[in-house]
Amino acid sequence: MALEHVELNNFKIHRKTEFDFSDRLNFLVGGNGQGKTTVLEAIYFLCTTKGFRNSSDSECINFDGNNFEISGKFRDTISNDVRVYFAPGESRRTYFLDGKPVYRPSSIIGKFPVVLLTPEDHELTQGGPGGRRKFVDAILSQASEYYLGCLLDYGKVLKHRSSLLSQIKVHSRQEYLSQLEVWDEKLVKSGTVLINKRGEFIEEFAEYITTAYRRIFPDGEIPFIGYEPFPGAASSINESFFMEKLLQRRNEELRRESNLTGPHRDDFIFSVDNKNLKSFGSQGQHKTFQVALRFAQYYYLKNVTGKKPLFLLDDIYSELDKKRAFNISGYLNDIGQSFLTMTDFSNYEQVVNQSSDKVFYVKEGQAQREN
Amino acid sequence: MIISQTLQSAIDEFNKFPGIGRKTAQRLTLYLLRRNTDDFEQFVAVVRALKEKIHECPICFNFTEHDVCEICSSPKRERGQICIVEDASDIMAIEKSNEYRGLYHVIGGVLSPLSGVHPEDLKIKELLVRLRDDEVKEIIMAVNPDTEGEATSLYLYKMLKPMGIKVSRLARGIPIGGDLEYSDEATIGRAVIDRSAIE
Repeated sequence: MALEHVELNNFKIHRKTEFDFSDRLNFLVGGNGQGKTTVLEAIYFLCTTKGFRNSSDSECINFDGNNFEISGKFRDTISNDVRVYFAPGESRRTYFLDGKPVYRPSSIIGKFPVVLLTPEDHELTQGGPGGRRKFVDAILSQASEYYLGCLLDYGKVLKHRSSLLSQIKVHSRQEYLSQLEVWDEKLVKSGTVLINKRGEFIEEFAEYITTAYRRIFPDGEIPFIGYEPFPGAASSINESFFMEKLLQRRNEELRRESNLTGPHRDDFIFSVDNKNLKSFGSQGQHKTFQVALRFAQYYYLKNVTGKKPLFLLDDIYSELDKKRAFNISGYLNDIGQSFLTMTDFSNYEQVVNQSSDKVFYVKEGQAQREN
Repeated sequence: MIISQTLQSAIDEFNKFPGIGRKTAQRLTLYLLRRNTDDFEQFVAVVRALKEKIHECPICFNFTEHDVCEICSSPKRERGQICIVEDASDIMAIEKSNEYRGLYHVIGGVLSPLSGVHPEDLKIKELLVRLRDDEVKEIIMAVNPDTEGEATSLYLYKMLKPMGIKVSRLARGIPIGGDLEYSDEATIGRAVIDRSAIE
């Protein structure tokens, strides 16, 4: 799968910009605020129907325009032409696949797989467990509809259950305790699937991480990714074990009116050379790990779905030394089509080593291809 | 736009119907206006009769115009089975299949603590009254298989099982005439677990 052609009309800083992309590496070079990341966002829109920066549809319209439109042409896919259109006055943007509007974004999930690496990825290794759960859930949901179903069910059960817990406490409705048992069972049922699927995934994914990390930084550091849903217990559990753990905190749950046990509180441990990355990692180790996570995601999705995802890399070189940057570029050559933004190209001229790669200079919402 | 107050209130009423948006509400209203007097009176009479004659069956809570509904009072129905449904419309769906010969019980919703629906808001007490009659041998759960429906089934199952009544639920799996290739993983997975022998 490759994205051949993209056109941005009145999308943010871009009045009208067209790209004929290489099916290898595409570099978008330019200063801050010139519209490089906007191009990545446009591609992300085409692949997922959504943007990745939190701006409303009307904020995406160029100051001089009345509506925005992004269109793209894919090759080697069943559907080839994709278009995203928004005009104020319409309640939401419309996504067209080969000219036909698509109203359910979920029908697009997995059609044009895409992996995105942005500076915000520092949240993955430095932030709270929520970001890591989101990372794992996003990959598993793309790979398995069954997992996605259980995840949605589990989310609903959590809401009902916390609501019930607080009603039991506030109105001291002891008779609801028998109803609570039902929600316990539902929680345990979907929760056990989530835990076991996550466990299997992490075990498999660890190898992808190791491979990716070693490619970027081959000097002997050993990365590790771990998952311990219940401290001291194996990551593969059965329903009765989970139920036992759940009931141990029954009184505390009733007192605090919230769900205290289960995969919604999971964390995934990242470490390098047996040292917890979050507490002891250097800036370079953090960045390397973040990049490795995305490369691992790329290869995992490629193997599971059988399609080569598009790889979007936003400003990855700025925090890395030359050596790692060079290794990443070499690694990218093994991958299908990718799109990289960078502010300064002069230091990294050596990274373009294939004649099929393309460099675009982006300035004030205009793009020019270098020779 | 200036519009007659009477016309506007009629449009507003239609707009309250499920699945009816503003434009359709307007079309329906204008359609009614253009009917001749006889047709219009006929329509009004039918609507009025709905509320005057139809009420809930005191036994199963299906809609009926008799004291007790046609199904509950039929001597042909199997009295040992009660099928639990959320809504009277589910009875219509099951009846169309012509496969079920037992009785029904409309519980009128599903458990949903988030929206404040608890066991006492459902017709569960009424079900228990019916079960005092030893005739009932089997309860068939036919609530929707979503999160809240499953929780409701589980709740009733836990309550009924100690009473020595067989509790079953509708099989789930590949739809008849459906294409295996296009079924979702959850359905296929369930269908494999609940597979049945070819006889």
